[in-house]
Amino acid sequence: MSVRGVLAVAGVECSKLTAQLKTRIVLAACVAGPFAFAAAMRVQSTAPTDTLFGRSVTESGFAVPLVVLGFAALWVFPVLASIVGGDLCSAEDRYGTWTTMLTRSRSRREVFAGKVLTALGFSSLTVAVLAVSSVVAGVLVIGSGALIDLSGSLRSPAHALVGVALAWATVLPPAFGFTALALMLSAGTRNSAAGIGLPVVAALAMQLYAFVDGPDVLRQMLLTSAFGAWHGILTEPPYYGPLIHATTISAVYFVVGLTIAYRMLRHRDIGR
Amino acid sequence: MERPALEALGISKRYGNREALRRVNLVARPGQLHGLLGPNGAGKTTLMRALLGLIRCDAGTVEFFGRSQDARLKPSRYSLRSRYSLRSRDRLRSREGAVPDGVAGFVDTPAFYPYLSGRKNLALLARLDGDGGARRSHRVDRALEHIGLVSHADIAVGSYSTGMRQRLGLAAALLRSPRLLFLDEPTSFLDPLAARDVRAIARRLADEGAAVVWSSHDMAEVEELCTALTIVNDGRVVFSGDVAELRQLAPSAVHLLRTSDDGAALHIASGRTGVRVASTTERALEVSADVDALDGYVIALGNAGIAVRSLERRVRSLESLFLELTGHGRGREGPTSASPAPANELQAPLVVP
Repeated sequence: MSVRGVLAVAGVECSKLTAQLKTRIVLAACVAGPFAFAAAMRVQSTAPTDTLFGRSVTESGFAVPLVVLGFAALWVFPVLASIVGGDLCSAEDRYGTWTTMLTRSRSRREVFAGKVLTALGFSSLTVAVLAVSSVVAGVLVIGSGALIDLSGSLRSPAHALVGVALAWATVLPPAFGFTALALMLSAGTRNSAAGIGLPVVAALAMQLYAFVDGPDVLRQMLLTSAFGAWHGILTEPPYYGPLIHATTISAVYFVVGLTIAYRMLRHRDIGR
Repeated sequence: MERPALEALGISKRYGNREALRRVNLVARPGQLHGLLGPNGAGKTTLMRALLGLIRCDAGTVEFFGRSQDARLKPSRYSLRSRYSLRSRDRLRSREGAVPDGVAGFVDTPAFYPYLSGRKNLALLARLDGDGGARRSHRVDRALEHIGLVSHADIAVGSYSTGMRQRLGLAAALLRSPRLLFLDEPTSFLDPLAARDVRAIARRLADEGAAVVWSSHDMAEVEELCTALTIVNDGRVVFSGDVAELRQLAPSAVHLLRTSDDGAALHIASGRTGVRVASTTERALEVSADVDALDGYVIALGNAGIAVRSLERRVRSLESLFLELTGHGRGREGPTSASPAPANELQAPLVVP
């Protein structure tokens, strides 16, 4: 496997993605969504006080990305993480193009690695676009006032911005975990609806389980819990235990998902 | 003798209880148009898939230009010992290997991304092959010109006909400057003019030294185009050799004869050597004879006052042999025979090494 080969496959995948309407719609929604939310907060008289940073959302623009972050953890991140990853392998089945792709100068390993790179790149891009859009929307629509963090301390705008950026960065590991899950389901089921839909269903099931009085070991293994690991960053002093745990769990999902996906592609007879 | 471009020996592939390929051998030499002939479901496409690395073989060896591609083999049994032996590890590693440079082809109807234009599809495939910017564009343009798709190059492939996709598949293969080209029924969806162009491209590639493996179920096409052929049936090779060798083995052509008096015509045939006549359900006679014997028979009918109302070739001689080899010979169709049924010398699989 060569880096050049992987990059060639990733380049091809990116070209395919940019030609698809779906990709543009998702990115446009990531840009427009936070602005719509911030505008709604601006015009309405009440704030969503039952959510983290909901009380501050009409006072500090930096609360907007954190409210969006909390909301997106429910199902938006699993969707964004799966929408490309869950379609990358199954789309080749849908169009019958595995034979076309695998009769070129690239090995299955390179093809798989290129697809993984593309899926992770898209997941990162959507998270980054949503984060930047949320911050910009908050600052432009609400203002750049100081933020009261989870300890009740007032953070300066610069300090708040760093905290917001770090909080959004912590979303990437579980997002990658869901991307790996989507790739695995895409390769295994050869069906895009399953590749995209099942990770989202899994995310909702995990969140439901979080409310159930089940074994704690299972609760510790829930990938969706990792989306809330940023809380420790916005306290004084900060604590990182949940973040380390979340990253570890995400890594397990990531490695297991990709390993299974690759083995399925590697051992598969194409065209039958 | 020049090293074969392709040497596949003992290729076997099993799907569950069904043996799709049984120890198939296929050897194609540079400059040779090699026909891979067989009825639908004979194993042609499976063999091509195996050779292109799309499916794993259960046994056999493959060499392209003398270089082993055993890579595509699956060890039949995963014992700890075999699993960690050097040979097994090599096999596992190369199984997923890319198709070597200079080897190209397609199986079934070529598939492309329907939301992209033909040109964009080819550009992406060239990119996969490692071609960069200007060179890629030049090669794509040349390939499109070769297969006559320039006028449709910027239209989304989703609106292409099957024939156009087949031509685009050939263009995609040409991008790799093939020295060994696998074409799976490349003219099956083409109009006669386009089919002629594709055959011309294959001929030109062979003239330039490439080995072309041309899969088809059409004996006439292979007979016209190829110099060597391998016939497969039910996953087994039933003939392999030059077309000239096959011609020598071929029985007489079969003609359909309509006369004013079939009974008398049958009677006259029974007294002649080299002529076999059987009545059919189509109110006609089926005549197996070489050209000289057939001429003599028709003249004899005229001399006997029997009018020949029509005489048309029903099965060409090689086609007749092909049908025998693949178990679809006349004997199985069951026409009413007025003369003793000829001994079927070709019932048993015939393999010319």
